[in-house]
Amino acid sequence: MNTSVTDYTTRRTAVLDRVRAVIIGHLNVDRPADELDPDTALFGSGLGLDSIDAVELVVALDAHFGIYLGDDVFGRAEMRTINGLVDLVMAAEGNRGARVTG
Amino acid sequence: MSRVEAARAARHSVLVTPLDHVCLSRVHGDDARRALGHLTATTLRARDGQVQHVLMLRDDATVLADAFVLCDDESFELLLEGLTAAEFIAHASAHLPAGLDVRFEDRSPTHAVVGIDGPFAWELTSRVVGVEAVGLPYLTFFHSAVGCCYRAGKTGEYGYGLIVPRAEATALEARLFDVGADLDVVRGDVEVLDDAALENFFFCIRREGAAALSPLELQLQWRVRAQGDEVGSAALRARRAAGIAARVTTLVSEGEVRVGDTVRGDGQVLGRLLAVVHSASRGEWVALALLDVAYAVPGLSGLRVGDDARRVDARTVAPPVLNNQSMFVSAQMHSYATRREITLPPLARP
Repeated sequence: MNTSVTDYTTRRTAVLDRVRAVIIGHLNVDRPADELDPDTALFGSGLGLDSIDAVELVVALDAHFGIYLGDDVFGRAEMRTINGLVDLVMAAEGNRGARVTG
Repeated sequence: MSRVEAARAARHSVLVTPLDHVCLSRVHGDDARRALGHLTATTLRARDGQVQHVLMLRDDATVLADAFVLCDDESFELLLEGLTAAEFIAHASAHLPAGLDVRFEDRSPTHAVVGIDGPFAWELTSRVVGVEAVGLPYLTFFHSAVGCCYRAGKTGEYGYGLIVPRAEATALEARLFDVGADLDVVRGDVEVLDDAALENFFFCIRREGAAALSPLELQLQWRVRAQGDEVGSAALRARRAAGIAARVTTLVSEGEVRVGDTVRGDGQVLGRLLAVVHSASRGEWVALALLDVAYAVPGLSGLRVGDDARRVDARTVAPPVLNNQSMFVSAQMHSYATRREITLPPLARP
């Protein structure tokens, strides 16, 4: 694995751990962190969160990551999965993706 | 109607699909809930009128079947994919503890399911089964004069199923096209639904489900609990303790990719493609890859996908790969006739 990929995946894993902790701590998700797969849907199927949880999540993203999403959040694709939330945090913290070599 | 037109209907109007790949089994008896929990490696929490999305595992924890369970008064309706009802009943007979009060009924010979999907699926469904469909929450159902109407699509758009007597299914389809003439309704098939599922990271038992993987690699742990002696639970716990080597991840590519293609990067083979669709909505290829877990993250570009004669660039992304219109269409405020007044983002996500 090249260095940029290692750096990126390390940062991404750290953000994933923080996002999982917020989900478990704030949304009463009764699962160990390692059972929250990164592409799991948050609403409807998947974790089965509801509109009240969505509001909690918006507040938690602001409190824990300094991400203010404004009013028009519920249609945003980034809000639909754990990895979507990780993408939001990564972008807010200035992390870009990485390129593998040939 | 072409596959592209059907795919477009799934994303913009309404798709009507005979769900001949779904088998029906009714489970009766005082121990029906316990029996289904044992067969699905989870705690069956659905109450009357609710639907739960479950998996059935083999003894080695690989996925055997995908199912919706409808909790209906004193019994349960199973909508099975990956097993016929007869195969399910045989599997249950071989795996359930003795002494349970449970009986299985194969309903496929007598009943059929018709799927209605798309951002305006609610509009067509309500015209046939009544206005109750408009406010029907996801993963719930009710009985109408036409048949049982459940809401549980796998396309990322509004999705409904109607369970009706098999003898009435053809007439129901005709009626759907008749009353939906102004909704640009298109007839779909299982391939179109599976393509739409891939764009939205809904599990497909016919594609990635054929790879003999466990919920760990498939990112389906939310569907199982595996805390006791349910079928596959011990093996799943052992696999979890050992850790996984690979995980499914979504890739996109402007070049053509195929199922079975190798994914390479950093001078090594990183995985292979399990499922592929050319997404008309994105104008590029979308694939599900089983990747080395170290690389199974969104945000990686420069991956090389193909075989000895053909290699194209690809990158990993977080699903869904679309901004589903259903997220912006309100059954209370909108209609297909006034759809141009709805503010929508571009269908393809970056």
